[in-house]
Amino acid sequence: MKMKILITLFFCSLFVNAQTQKQVHPNLNGITCKTCHSCDIPTKENPCILPCPREKMVSIDQSPEDGPAVITIDKFKKQSDIYAPVVFSHRLHAEMSGMAGGCKMCHHYNPPGQVIGCSDCHELTRKRVDISKPDLKGAYHRLCMTCHRSWSGKTDCTECHQQNGAANKTQAQSLEDKSAKRVHPKIITPSTIKFDTPKASGKMVTFYHSQHIDLFGLECQSCHSNESCMKCHTKTQTASLKIKTTDQKHLLCASCHNTKTNCSSCHSDTVKEGFNHKELTGFDITKFHSKISCNICHHEKGKFTGLSKECINCHGKWTQANFQHKITGVVLDETHSALECSDCHQEKNYANPVCSNCHEDKSYPKNIPGKLVKKN
Amino acid sequence: MANYSRRDFLKTAAIAGTAVTGLSSKTKAAPKNILSEDRMGVLVDTTVCIGCRKCEWACKTAHNLETPSIDTYDNRSVFNKMRRPNDKALTVVNEYHNNDQDKFPINVKVQCMHCDHPACVSACIVGAFSKQENGSVIWDTDKCIGCRYCMVACPFQVPAFEFSKALKPDIKKCDFCFERTKEGKLPACTEICPVEAITYGRREDLVKAAHQKIKNYPNRYINRVYGEYEVGGTSWIYLANKEFEKLDFPKLGKDPAPGVSEAIQHGIFAYFVPPVALYALLGGVMWINKNKKKTENETEI
Amino acid sequence: MEEFKPTPMKKKYFTPVVIGLAVLVLNGMIFLLARFVFGIGAVTNLDNQHPWGIWIGLDVAAGVALAAGGFTTAALGHIMHKDQYHAIIRPALLTAALGYTFVAVSVMIDLGRPYFIWHPLIMWNGSSVLFEVGICVIIYLAVLYIEFLPIVCERFIGRVNLPGMLKRFNNPLEKLLRLLDKGLEKTMFIFIIAGVVLSCLHQSSLGTLMVIAGPKMHPLWQTPILPLLFLLSAISVGFPMVIFESVITSRSFGLKPETHILSNLGSMVAPLLGIYLAFKIGDMMIRGTFVYLTTISSASVMFTIELLFGVIIPLRMFMSRQIAKSPTGLLIASFLVIFGVFLNRLNNFLVAYTPPYEFYSYFPSIGEISVTVGFIALEVLLFRIAVMIFPIVSVPDMSPQRTKYSVRGGIR
Repeated sequence: MKMKILITLFFCSLFVNAQTQKQVHPNLNGITCKTCHSCDIPTKENPCILPCPREKMVSIDQSPEDGPAVITIDKFKKQSDIYAPVVFSHRLHAEMSGMAGGCKMCHHYNPPGQVIGCSDCHELTRKRVDISKPDLKGAYHRLCMTCHRSWSGKTDCTECHQQNGAANKTQAQSLEDKSAKRVHPKIITPSTIKFDTPKASGKMVTFYHSQHIDLFGLECQSCHSNESCMKCHTKTQTASLKIKTTDQKHLLCASCHNTKTNCSSCHSDTVKEGFNHKELTGFDITKFHSKISCNICHHEKGKFTGLSKECINCHGKWTQANFQHKITGVVLDETHSALECSDCHQEKNYANPVCSNCHEDKSYPKNIPGKLVKKN
Repeated sequence: MANYSRRDFLKTAAIAGTAVTGLSSKTKAAPKNILSEDRMGVLVDTTVCIGCRKCEWACKTAHNLETPSIDTYDNRSVFNKMRRPNDKALTVVNEYHNNDQDKFPINVKVQCMHCDHPACVSACIVGAFSKQENGSVIWDTDKCIGCRYCMVACPFQVPAFEFSKALKPDIKKCDFCFERTKEGKLPACTEICPVEAITYGRREDLVKAAHQKIKNYPNRYINRVYGEYEVGGTSWIYLANKEFEKLDFPKLGKDPAPGVSEAIQHGIFAYFVPPVALYALLGGVMWINKNKKKTENETEI
Repeated sequence: MEEFKPTPMKKKYFTPVVIGLAVLVLNGMIFLLARFVFGIGAVTNLDNQHPWGIWIGLDVAAGVALAAGGFTTAALGHIMHKDQYHAIIRPALLTAALGYTFVAVSVMIDLGRPYFIWHPLIMWNGSSVLFEVGICVIIYLAVLYIEFLPIVCERFIGRVNLPGMLKRFNNPLEKLLRLLDKGLEKTMFIFIIAGVVLSCLHQSSLGTLMVIAGPKMHPLWQTPILPLLFLLSAISVGFPMVIFESVITSRSFGLKPETHILSNLGSMVAPLLGIYLAFKIGDMMIRGTFVYLTTISSASVMFTIELLFGVIIPLRMFMSRQIAKSPTGLLIASFLVIFGVFLNRLNNFLVAYTPPYEFYSYFPSIGEISVTVGFIALEVLLFRIAVMIFPIVSVPDMSPQRTKYSVRGGIR
């Protein structure tokens, strides 16, 4: 009997646990409890969190607008006898982090679910038992200083703080308002960058920055990770771009391009043309395939050749039943929508339809077999 | 004159012997030297320290030393030359080049290490120094006679002396804020540190935490916790990303600093047996020689 | 056989040398005054890197070593019962008593709080080497004064004559002296043996003093057998010190040096020095520290000078018969041994001491040197006064019978 109750209790607890787990972590992207917790049944009292960083960590990204605009860090009011609370322009910093590590730059080791604040993990009191992670004050300052030190080279407290007494309440309010309005200006992306390299032949590398974003669908962070403000801003005299070695320069490109062989694919003596699928292969992707990434069609990693230009190769056989003609920008009228594809499209790439099979006096694109709509 | 008898000799010798043994039983009274399992310590992570020198300010304020205004501590030109704690500043922060990467400079806070087996406690002539249960090594200024032997003994060259004072000059060193911790407060420097580069906690926990950090960030730290074993272990322990000797830490062995000295000392004074034995031996030699002389004289006559 | 009898010297006190010494004493006293008014830092070059200077390294450490003549002669004359050396015991005793007095005074002026010098007597720390040295020196100083008391008794028994108001104390004082004399007669052997034991203890512990400095001390000198080396060197400097001081006193007072006693003493120096040298070299070989001698540094140079001029050359000199017979030869050889031990203490306490963080290297200030020189000068002057008041220096005895007090302290 006793045994039974115990077993029931055990399963109940498991059930309850599974319930709360879903509430706390709604989106466990394939990570297990053991990634973060050391015990089988973590509770709120004893979460038995493993020391950071855990082996595989999930961090989530939000857009800067999703977070608060301004945070006034006044948790230490009692302790702060020297300095007034800091007004932290959260949104501005979130925007700036876009070129670096994103939200996880500060919200590190964020469990799956919503973005959590610093004080959820870092204790407010410095005199504490668990010393595996810094207290809240330490955590704040460590994060701030990693960037602010490189920015100005200074560690002056007054860079962020106002000395107590110097600022009164109205000033703090206006500071808050001011911070809320501060946003990082939109980062203007260059379209083309021409690199002069020390290479004897093939001196020039023409880099189509806009193509990498628009055509290949790369995010800023795909290349610009961990870049401090100084990459763009030169506030201090000492701030200068790091001199990179050849290997370091190639490293960024090498994640997609083969930089070991085939130098001429990037290097040439003159300005190179940008990437043009039609010119290179004869298959125009600007019409219908501009929004999909390369690997949708080119499955094999690093190999972009050997695909047939025929639509059937990827799409299978189209019939009047399974093809939404609307997608091409032309909604067929009733008579034409009943026809088989091949009645009009005789070429394998379904280009230029012929009308002469039925009509003697009509031709495309002078006459439209339906009505034109906006392509989406 | 010459009838000084053998019995007299033995009697006086016995009295002298008892007096000496009486002394020996009292000498065991040694200064407080506790090595508690729950002793506290501080983990200094030099890779976190930003060199803001707020600890210097807090230390001076807490110890009623002459303290400049807090704004003056932003001046980083003091790092141009290496500084040491002295009678006017019980802790100082120094700066070193980070030659591995062109990253931030390395800042190292210096103060008393609060050894587990302190040389100063062993050395102090009047037993003014003591190792307290909470790990701090402090001294009783009322006992101090100003001999400065603690300064000779300290392997970290920490105790400083008020050479400029003619009247009641004192030894000065970090006391781990003994008065503050007694009231349940944190040491002044660990309380003010903005980045918590100095973590206050049980020494045992700190050693574990330090090794966990090295394991988690093998590129950030060299695999060594300075003070874990140096001179038998210290209460303040350090992490760094560069060889400690290049950051002006002394190269020290694992043996406690007073070890050899105390071994010799206790060897010579093992229950006062060697001195008493020497005394007895010399007494014996004296007696034999005296008798020899007497017989010589008698035979001559 | 010619009998020697200790007699107070009768000569003019002031000579040009004495006046010169007096000037040095005065100069030292001025700096000493400054030290008490403005603090140690104002007069010395000491700082937090160099806690100890020549006041400890020379005045105390070398002072203790050079006062070793007291216990070595006591051991020879009283414990080994070699009566022929009794002539030199009293001068050696006086040197030791004066030497240790100045050691105590030097410690006092070097202490930050001289008025707390009595603290070690009631505040004990058994593991502290300095505590042991301090206690031993205090007791030994007392023992030395007790050993000296019979000389005072001999001088004043029957001759107590206080002037003026104090006249009424004449009788009690006379009685006290007689009582002391009688009591000490029976118990002196305790103090003599105690003196030797205490000397052995603190002479060796003076070496242990620097062991705790560990790596702060240059490896050429830092060794666990430092106490043994200090004891051996103290024993070997004892007789040369007596010879040196005896020859100088004889010359100063125009007496014939007791050459046969001195050369007999000298013959004992060579084996003692030899043992010291053997341990010193052996220690160097075992620890492999001779590698430091291959580079030229202040440490290696000082070590070489100390060993060559302070031990090896005088050892060779004491082994030569010709030198042993000439007072000048003995004087030079003895001086070299004294110089060697003096330098050894200086090296151990100052040259070998290399603080891990050193901003300036230490060199004694004018004030420190003045005080040290002043103390040495004062010591010489006091010695001169003492031998003129008390029966210390032995001169050929004109009266046939042996005096009661000639071999004071021995068991007869």
